[in-house]
Amino acid sequence: MNASAGHLREQFDDSVQQREASTLGMWTFLATEVLFFGVLFAGYAFCRVIFPDAFAEASRHTDMLLGTLETAVLLSSSCAAALAVREVQLGGRRVATWLLLITAALGIAFLAMHGLEYVAEYREGLIPGIRYTQHGPHAASMQLFFCLYYFITGFHGLHVSIGVGLLLAMAWRTHRGAFDQDYHTPLELTALYWHLVDIVWIFVYPLIYLVGRAA
Amino acid sequence: MNARAPSRQPRNHRSGPAPPSLRSNLLVLAALLVLLGLSAGSALIPMGAFNEVANLGIAAMKALLVLVFFMRLKSDSALLRLVAGTGFAWLALLIALSLADLLSRQNLLPPW
Repeated sequence: MNASAGHLREQFDDSVQQREASTLGMWTFLATEVLFFGVLFAGYAFCRVIFPDAFAEASRHTDMLLGTLETAVLLSSSCAAALAVREVQLGGRRVATWLLLITAALGIAFLAMHGLEYVAEYREGLIPGIRYTQHGPHAASMQLFFCLYYFITGFHGLHVSIGVGLLLAMAWRTHRGAFDQDYHTPLELTALYWHLVDIVWIFVYPLIYLVGRAA
Repeated sequence: MNARAPSRQPRNHRSGPAPPSLRSNLLVLAALLVLLGLSAGSALIPMGAFNEVANLGIAAMKALLVLVFFMRLKSDSALLRLVAGTGFAWLALLIALSLADLLSRQNLLPPW
């Protein structure tokens, strides 16, 4: 008797088939997520081709140091999530629980740092429609950059928050012994989701923080 | 044994991707952080249009590392590689066709 026996749904021949169906479903969902964020990136590409100088100037208003730190935090959290899945596959429940808690904590640290950025941007008057105090030749078209910035990072932050919730739930279930070498699909799928959120940020970083830095 | 897939390994749940070594996961993280440093550093050096090539090239490399190793596309089934590739391929189409339209369109004056 192992943890997988109680989880096999009747439409599946065996737990392998069930796992294959679950991972395929998750990857299909992730492909739709790629397109969800992809639309925002396509809009970004479109606007940036039209207003290259405004985008470079607007990007210089973002906080490159915090952005770099946030990227490092998310990359590390992805590694911790991958290690948690590995640990469960090897039968280590306690370490896996801790790794999941570390992943969630890094996610919360990311959200806190991004919150600090939003506060700084509010003070600097960089939020179109709410508090926008920029002047100069590019001020009007820079608003496009900031609108895209808030939509992309806002939706990304929402995904990180959902991911933190899922990770905490998985940490709890791992701690309770719900997963073992033979059954850990929910944990695997949560890790996949977390990695995709990381990949989105990998592209946000150069497009938001690194434009026009050398000029 | 399963009749439909006689050549497979015995069907238990461990036939999914084998756990990677601790070393490989930590090496991937180290590579990701080095690439992040390269990305931040190269952005500060004036290289003209090549700045953008470097930025996006490094981002693509980082994303590939995460996809292949952390998300285990390397060791999991080929079907998943196909689905993952399809998502990014549609995105490439979306961006390429939008930009092709934007960059090649000419304003036509009305004939009256």
